[in-house]
Amino acid sequence: MAHEMTTSSPASTKADRSRLALRDILFKAGPLIALIALIAYLSFASPKFATHTNFANIGRQTAPLAILAIGQTFAILTGGIDLSVAAIAAFASATTAVLMTSPLVLFGVDLGYLPIPVCLAAGLMVGLLAGLLNGWIIATFKIPDFIATLGTMQVFRGVALLTTQGQSVPGPSSTREMPPAFTWLGTANVAGIPASIFIALICAGIAIYVLKFTALGRAVYAVGGNREAARVCGISVGRTKIYVYAISGLLASIAGILLVARLSAANALLAEGEELRSIASVVIGGTNLFGGEGGVIGSLIGAMLVGVLGNGLNLLGVSPFYQRIAQGVVVVLVVIFDQWRRRSLNKK
Amino acid sequence: MATSPAHALPDTVPEAKVLLRLRNIGKVFPGNVALCDVSLDIRAGEIHALMGENGAGKSTLMKIIAGEYSATSGDILVDGKSLPANFDAARYGIGLVHQELSLVPALSVAENIYLGRLPRRFGSIDWRAAERNARAILQRLGVDLDPRAPVGRLEVAEQQLVEIARVLERAPKIVLFDEPTSALSDSERSRLFDVIRLLKEEGHGIVYISHNLSEIMAISDRVTVLRDGQLAASLPIAEASEAKIVGLMVGQALAQQFPKFESDIGQPVLRVENLVSGTALKGVSFSLRQGEILGVYGLMGAGQAELAGAIFGLTPFDSGEIHAGETPLKDHSAADAIAARIGLLSRDRRQSLIPMQPIAPNLSLAWLSDRAMLSKLEVGREKRESADYIKMMRIRPPSMTQKLLHYSGGNQQKVILARWMSSGSKILIFDEPTRGIDVGAKAEVFAIMSRLVEAGTSILMISSEINELVALADRVLVMRSGLIKVELTREQLSQEALLLHSH
Ligand SMILES: Nc1ncnc2c1ncn2[C@@H]1O[C@H](COP(=O)(O)OP(=O)(O)OP(=O)(O)O)[C@@H](O)[C@H]1O
Ligand SMILES: [Mg+2]
Repeated sequence: MAHEMTTSSPASTKADRSRLALRDILFKAGPLIALIALIAYLSFASPKFATHTNFANIGRQTAPLAILAIGQTFAILTGGIDLSVAAIAAFASATTAVLMTSPLVLFGVDLGYLPIPVCLAAGLMVGLLAGLLNGWIIATFKIPDFIATLGTMQVFRGVALLTTQGQSVPGPSSTREMPPAFTWLGTANVAGIPASIFIALICAGIAIYVLKFTALGRAVYAVGGNREAARVCGISVGRTKIYVYAISGLLASIAGILLVARLSAANALLAEGEELRSIASVVIGGTNLFGGEGGVIGSLIGAMLVGVLGNGLNLLGVSPFYQRIAQGVVVVLVVIFDQWRRRSLNKK
Repeated sequence: MATSPAHALPDTVPEAKVLLRLRNIGKVFPGNVALCDVSLDIRAGEIHALMGENGAGKSTLMKIIAGEYSATSGDILVDGKSLPANFDAARYGIGLVHQELSLVPALSVAENIYLGRLPRRFGSIDWRAAERNARAILQRLGVDLDPRAPVGRLEVAEQQLVEIARVLERAPKIVLFDEPTSALSDSERSRLFDVIRLLKEEGHGIVYISHNLSEIMAISDRVTVLRDGQLAASLPIAEASEAKIVGLMVGQALAQQFPKFESDIGQPVLRVENLVSGTALKGVSFSLRQGEILGVYGLMGAGQAELAGAIFGLTPFDSGEIHAGETPLKDHSAADAIAARIGLLSRDRRQSLIPMQPIAPNLSLAWLSDRAMLSKLEVGREKRESADYIKMMRIRPPSMTQKLLHYSGGNQQKVILARWMSSGSKILIFDEPTRGIDVGAKAEVFAIMSRLVEAGTSILMISSEINELVALADRVLVMRSGLIKVELTREQLSQEALLLHSH
């Protein structure tokens, strides 16, 4: 913007400009810098941290959270929030697990064990339908996303309990263990890297494409940025919400299935509290809690920060009680920092 | 370069007291220099006009005086003393009427006027007093509004007056007006001018920003022109002329302001019959023909905004018919209107912008309405057209990455205009299209409008700018209290006729 720089501008203006530009970059890269600093500190503080096994471990543990966070990013970008992601993960993965560990009996007819792909598809379908239900409720009854998903979160947990009859799967009513071809998903390495990381990256790639290059992506940012403007441009807020929550539900089911594959067991209370950690990842990653601003890459970094922090505290022998406190403090600090950053960028 | 405003001038009677002095103010935003080395004085009993192209730095300067932004360099002096970095403008009697209305839509008129300072009696809020005072101050501005009505339901012009009332209620010594008339029609304008003149007689210091040259010539005592964030000149009004001011703003002489053009007018494309909506529209009928610019003029509250809202499907109407071509529109949504190839540029910018997004996604937003959700964006076309409109409409800064939030009001307006101009709509409803746009860019806007009608687009142009209607419209409908009072053909069109029929 050369025309703005004029020959008579004093030297101080130039200095101010580069100082501000630097601050801008630092602010944007904040989460990444924090992640690198944390990794550097932990490598120094614990000899077990910077090892291939530990990194693979972190990857396996963080991949499901990252996938939840991707779906959560969509919801938050529209100015909403999806509190039901962890419940959907549990419900969907329980469905897959039950189908895999016991033969399907329909109307008294024993259909035997369903093939693994069919069990997976059933789990994904459950996630998609659950998400569609969220979106439909929000779009039709125009109630706040927060309330709608708070309600369905309980419903999905309840249905998951019914599905598993309150037991761990495989459990008393199961007739076989999880097939190894399935647990491979959660435990295997491909070229030394956990397979679940690849799955998370594929999800992220597709999500980034959708947000950047499709009409839906634009609608998501428009609805979150200024709902009224979206409406006068002929974009349907309701339809956008339905897509967004369907995506979030589908991704939640993928996360749940990966989690179950890693643990070799499903459970209706799986991933409890992960909805909050997914929201924390999104916010740490710089997505505006009020919508319209942010993206998937930030959320991935946010999820890694949350994952590395948990792993590091474990290695340092910090008790799980303190870990919870630490994670909560980090989230609050990040949001405070974020508010301050926005104010100073937009105003002064 | 800056002419020092301090020396006595032949026609200003005894040197008035300097209320506030700006010395070498600079303001830098990330990646953007908004102000550089600006000095000026605000004097008691003087109306100081501030002019400049869109993005010249006028609003930024006002916000610095009002303590909303802190200057990157320079001093603000009151009574010879430099103000501290985070000063409280209210304590120094400084009030700013914002360009972008800053009211809370959900709160009532009285609550907005007294926000944070509701009168108290025996410790509880004295609503009666608040409402009485609010009504009084609004009446001074010549509006009769219910102090209990939520602001969100008012017309933009009414909101603007509430914003002014809110500032005046605090009885500031220095009043800064940032484009206060951009949504007002003539009679509200002249009422506001009476109030401003009164303030001047009482010895207030006034800064007045507008893109309307004749207004500036009529009301101000001194004109200061900013160009690219620098002081281009500051001169008493006696030494200024419209041409001179424009020359100082743009840095060169401008050609004729409004280009005239002729186009072939065809069949009706939009027919409105007997439209009734509450008390706002009481049976409006007209038709808009292909290739026509049909003007709509009226005072505040005459029903223009409701007419636009009803056609575009934003507000339901009670009875009557709307036909876009062969398509009947009834109980329709904005998406239906867009599907019938209608576009609406609404008067309230805040209703149209995606503030956190740069120009390109804001421009192309209206292209998406008939696309499948998972269809691919036309990224190339978006880039190309953004660059074209940035150049044509002189949008500044010419950036593809800066968020719209950080653009000046006039430049935001240009982006929304460009959105609808590029949308391919065949019927465009423009509600105050040139609101906040500077003289230079206006000519370009009119040139694009003329190209659109030549290509067969029809434009319903709602405007309070009489001279723009006279210059551009093929016909003008004059509205008064929800009815079309008269239809003026191009031959009958004149300033006098519009004023006569609208009152
Ligand atoms: N918060 C901000 N961050 C970055 N740049 C900004 C910000 N606010 C304003 N600017 C830039 O500062 C410059 C001056 O803007 P300003 O709003 O003062 O213009 P203006 O003279 O009031 O124009 P208009 O006539 O369109 O209202 C513009 O280039 C604008 O893009
Ligand atoms: Mg401005």
